Amino acid sequence: MTRTAEMEPGELSDTEEGLFVYGIVRGDTELPGVMVGLDGRDVVTVRCDRVAALVSPLAVQRPPGRAKELLAYSQALDVVAESHPVVPVRFGAILPDAGSVVEELLAPDEEHFHALLEDLQGRAQFMLRAGYVEEQVLGEIVQSDPEVAELRERTRDLPEEAAYADRVRLGELVARAIEDKRGQDADFLLDRVLTLVDAHVVRPVSGLAPVCDVALLVHSDQRAELEARLESLAEEVHERIRLRLMGPVAPYDFVGEG
Amino acid sequence: MTVQANQRRGGGGYLDRPAPSGLADVVEIILDKGIVIDAYVRVSLVGIELLTIDARIVIASVDTYLRFAEATNRLDLAEQGGGKPLDEFIGSMTESGASGKVKGAVSGAKKALSSGSDDDDDEERERRPAKKSSTRRRSSA
Repeated sequence: MTRTAEMEPGELSDTEEGLFVYGIVRGDTELPGVMVGLDGRDVVTVRCDRVAALVSPLAVQRPPGRAKELLAYSQALDVVAESHPVVPVRFGAILPDAGSVVEELLAPDEEHFHALLEDLQGRAQFMLRAGYVEEQVLGEIVQSDPEVAELRERTRDLPEEAAYADRVRLGELVARAIEDKRGQDADFLLDRVLTLVDAHVVRPVSGLAPVCDVALLVHSDQRAELEARLESLAEEVHERIRLRLMGPVAPYDFVGEG
Repeated sequence: MTVQANQRRGGGGYLDRPAPSGLADVVEIILDKGIVIDAYVRVSLVGIELLTIDARIVIASVDTYLRFAEATNRLDLAEQGGGKPLDEFIGSMTESGASGKVKGAVSGAKKALSSGSDDDDDEERERRPAKKSSTRRRSSA
């Protein structure tokens, strides 16, 4: 196995530093210029045959951090994902040194990682979120369900503490109505886009506003058409539902064994 | 939510097309995705590993129902040509309080980021099966 010049095996094993692992790329990946990772340290690759890990040194005993580290992690992965296939490693993984990265992470699954990366070639993840225009959908429910309308009339002028049972009943009816609408609307939206994607993962949603939250794996050949279709779909439904598309991002949802 | 707050953007598009830049966006995208390195080769950073970002599902409960009821009661149906105008008497008091609560339920996941609480015990119960679609890769070292 070969390794890049930046990181020699065991280099950090006697220090307080470990290697934070961002993800796995093809062994021949050339990083787009200098990449800054957690704590402002440079992201480098540790190679093992056809695959390599993206890592940066991190003091193991450093004070805990959260938001900043998470942003640095995702930005590094997304930058790489713009030009290279990358398999994200779940946030928070730290290995003692370059030798462990090779022996414990890369070598045992080199074949699998290589296959995953081949599969991801030319594809990127997008996140599609749809959310109700809250007033609109609540209005639909009040106007289509006499019991909801009646309970609303009865409870809305009373102080919050009063008519407790009626309020709970009202909320329950509204929650169920939203669930029904959500199912129908999510199916409708997904039917329109899934023909243009290679894979998708529906994430669970609940609450008042969300309609659906779905990760899409999109081939670069299909991207423009998908965006155009979503734009016209967004215009079509905008009075009730707002659509939001984020990406391309690293394929966080598409690196499982399934 | 931001989905609603975003108006039409330049170019006349209806599709909201933000770059994932803020923490909330990143949390939404990443959740707890990615392959997993086995725990024993994983030197945990105090604090960081606790960041099992949890898209907290608002489970059906009396509390949830009350929030829905409040949102429904806040509705001004006059604008939609049905129902009666809201009685002015309800006014600002309940209205402002209620909107905070509804939003609170949705943004709970993001707050977990800064709260430092570790909710592992609740995960099994509160996550839905759909999460299983993010299968995990374990490297056997």
